[in-house]
Amino acid sequence: MLFLSTTSFLIAMQHANAQPISISGNITMSITTGVAGGGLTSAVNTTITLSYRRQNALAKITVGTSCPAQSFTLKVLATSVTDGTGAPEVNLVNGMPATDFITSIPAKPPANVRTCTLQYTASSTFAQGNSIEDGNDVHTVTYTILAQ
Amino acid sequence: MKRESGALEYHWVLGYISSLMKESIQQPKPSKLSFRLQCLIVFALAFGCLANGQTYGSASHQATVQVSQVTLIQVSSGSVNLNISGANAVAGQNTMTANDQSTSLLWGTNVSQRKITAQTNLASSIFALKLLALSPTQGTAAPEITLNSTPWDLVLNIGKSSGSCQLQYTAVALASQGTGSDAHTISLTITVQ
Repeated sequence: MLFLSTTSFLIAMQHANAQPISISGNITMSITTGVAGGGLTSAVNTTITLSYRRQNALAKITVGTSCPAQSFTLKVLATSVTDGTGAPEVNLVNGMPATDFITSIPAKPPANVRTCTLQYTASSTFAQGNSIEDGNDVHTVTYTILAQ
Repeated sequence: MKRESGALEYHWVLGYISSLMKESIQQPKPSKLSFRLQCLIVFALAFGCLANGQTYGSASHQATVQVSQVTLIQVSSGSVNLNISGANAVAGQNTMTANDQSTSLLWGTNVSQRKITAQTNLASSIFALKLLALSPTQGTAAPEITLNSTPWDLVLNIGKSSGSCQLQYTAVALASQGTGSDAHTISLTITVQ
């Protein structure tokens, strides 16, 4: 009984500490125009916020994606980073190894929420085709906070 | 260095738990020892993953990229003037010609199996007007065509590409046709091959 009570208490403590990392939602980006003799016009989205917390040790955030049968190009950049250092823009490729996204996040305290804006840039060449013939690219993008 | 230190502490905790378990088995009744054991097991379960692994947490979301079918075509200049004059005439020959290569065609399409055709709005012209695509960067130029109101192939097999070519217009007049002028509006179209 004592064992169960203690376990419940610890689990409750962990919930009280909120998630170490979270994302504000999903996005859809559309490429609809271009330049004859040139290229298609890229689409940029900056509506998504990545929230994270300092941990017990120096930490970093990595990014990876799963997008089977990927046709188009998608890149992500951390902007307005409130804690840590944003890495250069990352090209998201299906099955890529986890790649540094934000590094040097100091250890807590404090443990309150830190944020950055996810700037996604979708691009494609004429040769890369279109969604009607090839389908949309649906990326499951995963951000992981871990000890650096 | 901190990771190694953390791992050592974790192993020490596991070792301590192991020794407490041995002692607990030997104890006939629950005691303070079993309470300490419970606490340590909970501690190990709650924080073991953090001490042993390096990941604190992860989050995923979906980012969808849609690309519409985009087909674009344009010419570098809005008008071309071809003048057939005495300078183009050769004594003894009925045919006179004038040539222009001042304009180029640019296109882009991300749709497969496409070609470019050309036609004029002038159903009945006095003089013949011919068109040839020179040096297309993508696809294959069709043989020179004489423009009429029916679309004729100008560049074939452009595929999904961005490209350009030079447009060579040739006006042909026969001396027997006399004088006059034709005003063509020429349509260049990317279409299904």
